[in-house]
Amino acid sequence: MAEKRKAGRCTIDPHAGRGTDVIVIGAGLAGLLAAVHAVKAGARVRLIANGWGQQIVSPGWISVCDRADDDVIAEVRGYAALHPDHPYALAGLDALVCALDLFQDIAEEIGEPVVMRPRDGHNLRLPTMLGAIQTPLLAPAGIAAGDLTGVNGPVLIVGFAGWRDFYPALVAGNLSAQGIAARALTVTLPAGRGSWDDWPADLARRFDDSAFRAAVLRQIQPQIRDAVKVGFPAVLGMEGHAEVLREFEAGLGCPVFEIPTLPPSPAGTRLSNGLRRWLLRHRARAQIGHAVVRGIVENGRCTGVEVGALGHTNPFYADAFILATGGLYNGGIQSDETGRLWEPIFGFPVSGPQSEGREGWYQERLLAEDGHPIHRHAGLRVNAQMQPLDAEGAPVLANVFAAGHLLAGFNPLTDGCAEGVALATAYKAVCAAFAARA
Amino acid sequence: MTTTSVDVLVIGGGATGAAALYDLARRGVRALLVDQLDFTTGTSGRYHGLLHSGGRYAGRDLETARECIVENRVLRRIVPFAVEDTGGLFVATPADPADFPARWLDGCAKAGIPTEALSAAQARAEEPALTPAITAVYRVPDGSVDSFDMIHGFVEAARDLGSDAWIYQQVTGLLREGDAVVGATLQDTRSGEERTVRAACVLNATGPWAGVVAQLAGLDVSVKFDRGAMIAMNTRWVNTVVNRLRPASDGDILVPVGTVCVLGTTSVHTDAPDDYRVEAWEVSKILAEADVVVPGIRFGRALRAWAGVRPLYEPPEAGNADAQGRDVARTFSVLDHAARDGVRGLVTVTGGKLTTCRLMAEKAVDAVCAQLGISAPCTTADEVLPLPAATAGRYHRLDHRLHKLEHGEMPGELICECEMVTRPQLEAAITAYGDQPVALDDLRRDLRLGMGPCQAGFCSVRAAGILQAVKGQASAEATAALSAFVDERFRGVRPLLWGHQLRQLYLDELIYRRTLGLDRLPGEGIPQATIAAPGEEAAHG
Repeated sequence: MAEKRKAGRCTIDPHAGRGTDVIVIGAGLAGLLAAVHAVKAGARVRLIANGWGQQIVSPGWISVCDRADDDVIAEVRGYAALHPDHPYALAGLDALVCALDLFQDIAEEIGEPVVMRPRDGHNLRLPTMLGAIQTPLLAPAGIAAGDLTGVNGPVLIVGFAGWRDFYPALVAGNLSAQGIAARALTVTLPAGRGSWDDWPADLARRFDDSAFRAAVLRQIQPQIRDAVKVGFPAVLGMEGHAEVLREFEAGLGCPVFEIPTLPPSPAGTRLSNGLRRWLLRHRARAQIGHAVVRGIVENGRCTGVEVGALGHTNPFYADAFILATGGLYNGGIQSDETGRLWEPIFGFPVSGPQSEGREGWYQERLLAEDGHPIHRHAGLRVNAQMQPLDAEGAPVLANVFAAGHLLAGFNPLTDGCAEGVALATAYKAVCAAFAARA
Repeated sequence: MTTTSVDVLVIGGGATGAAALYDLARRGVRALLVDQLDFTTGTSGRYHGLLHSGGRYAGRDLETARECIVENRVLRRIVPFAVEDTGGLFVATPADPADFPARWLDGCAKAGIPTEALSAAQARAEEPALTPAITAVYRVPDGSVDSFDMIHGFVEAARDLGSDAWIYQQVTGLLREGDAVVGATLQDTRSGEERTVRAACVLNATGPWAGVVAQLAGLDVSVKFDRGAMIAMNTRWVNTVVNRLRPASDGDILVPVGTVCVLGTTSVHTDAPDDYRVEAWEVSKILAEADVVVPGIRFGRALRAWAGVRPLYEPPEAGNADAQGRDVARTFSVLDHAARDGVRGLVTVTGGKLTTCRLMAEKAVDAVCAQLGISAPCTTADEVLPLPAATAGRYHRLDHRLHKLEHGEMPGELICECEMVTRPQLEAAITAYGDQPVALDDLRRDLRLGMGPCQAGFCSVRAAGILQAVKGQASAEATAALSAFVDERFRGVRPLLWGHQLRQLYLDELIYRRTLGLDRLPGEGIPQATIAAPGEEAAHG
């Protein structure tokens, strides 16, 4: 194993990956963390991805075990013991702890806007744009500042007249109904381009302009009254995010926080850009927008991958491969009308719900309590080294390791562990890749 | 309990009921129409949008074929705003019986349906998506008809003549005095309020529900229920109605309607008038059959699936009691219960096609008038109806929305990107309901909200926020409206979840569960009242 625990923290052996060429396929949270891990271990890393992963459409926080009321890692340990096929159980708790450490370290290295704020091992209590409470473990500082633990209000929720993606009265009303006093305020945005289809990132970039945000701030100041925190839609700046937060906190005299809105998410965009820049700074290659079309396999090992280009493919060769292409949403797992499920790059066996065709993939209601069987069961089965397995339970290829949402055995939409699984399995896959070389 | 008196009570706000209301009004009879839900929510809304030339029945059911071609021409004339003249093609492939085209041509000639033989090359020049393997192809005067526009046209014209229509009124009983039906008791399905309507005659135009309503008067009308599934593909794969030139079977029509292409249909015997299930085999069958005439269409993006229930009725004297599905004639029946059962004051009309709705109404109203001693003749085939106000804004059609948006003629933010619905349109539509409760699904029927590829993933929460603001609601109420809409939209897309649409619904579920936490708010788990049965319509894919 590449990781060593030191005083409760994980450090990565900077020589573990020396002389190893690693290709990471996929630029979601799992692929990006795997690439960072491999770089830190001294490997030569090439990240190839068709596009960004699910972090772009996700709220921006890190769910590890949303249901934990108390110590999150202890809850995961208990859960993993009962569910031996869950990716947490396969990757092991050490991998999760180290992955979270590495992720927070790297976020700090990247800088302020993506710094992750935990709450001493307990879940945060964050309001959504519907006024529900979500309980992830970590969130970018601006979102984590919305933690409602021990807060009874009053909380001021600010929205913008004429912006379609945030309804402060909806948030405030539902929060109040849950015992957190909240009131809504709608302010006017300074006249600008005046678009009928402003996305969150469009608005976030307008907040990078200091005159623009000063005009917004002036309208809120007289309305602060007894508010203990002020919440905004998560559009407070793109590149200038940290500065906007600082200015607003100074100008309003109380903590300011962001509430994630509809996709795409500025928080996910900031994180993705930050990680990509970090990788490039550390001499990794990052080819995003390039689809891996198939693996080149010889004698039970993968020697390279073919990457799509105009009318032909280009081969790239490496010693170890981390497959982090995502699940049914991001294309790592494909499905068709007959109920067939497949993994398109290596053709790894894909397991699915135990049912005929597509019968049984979905429950009757979209928000059915236990979620849909297809999202829990569709995916690759792997061993504790994250190697995809064949029907007999043997590894298919010795040097291909899978991580993230293309694994079977968890439901990223209902289990409250979407990001935790991506990080833990990515971390473990890289450790296993180096261990196999040693 | 309030009591209202009218000359004739029409039960059923589908195409036949609405046409009958209009017909009665033109004959000077003051009538009232009631429906248990909204207009077009039954069979008339749950169809494929095809205005039949009659060609589909030319092989087997000449009476229906004749009715179709005559009424096709009438509807083009009187409700031009609801009809798109797509034209139609009948296409034979090597998979179809080689002797059928000759028989079919003979049937068309007998029924008076004009046909024009095309070469395969001509047909493919017009419709490039067609298969190269065409063994025969003929042009017929098919079209597509928007039943929402047509029905609103009938209802508004009738209102102009002094008649009225009430929606969300369920008939709870028929009033009997001796051997006569003299009216009905109603209950408002939303407020629960009860009232009585007294009428000299009741017209039962409830399609698959005809037996249920007749039973309220103790009369036996045995309607067979025949379920058919349809799928809306997300673009117009063809601009002409395409039929398979073979004996009527599953999955042999493609109808371009508005922005989508509707594939249909199946024929499954069922036991309930509201069995709207779509089974996986039906989806597979329809896609596979459509793929024979338009290769590749099965890999296209399917937006939504729905089913309608055809009311099939054959009089017992036809001696065909065991027939099911396509073996039962698609013609219609008017039952004068005075002559048939000795009960005056009740006429039932059922069976038939949407294309023949005006004719069905004419014959039914003739029977009603005969009972009432009214001799005024039917005049509905002649006069062009005015464009109904309900569709004057054409909000439920896409038409020129993009052009208007881009040229500043449609101000305000875009709330539903797929169908291009703006905030001011939404606010106006909500305001139009006054004090009435508004479901997001009502706004969908008014504006096309949430009917595009994302099936409301993005616009539903925006619409809930706007609904709350306009109505001054509590957040819990807006959240419940959102929750109901999520359930409603999922029903129609659930049969189609693989590939792209599966990914779309993953994103929608991610938004609802993670970004919004909709499933974490109290009350979300309460199942919605069953009256919220969706009015699906081809034109509203």
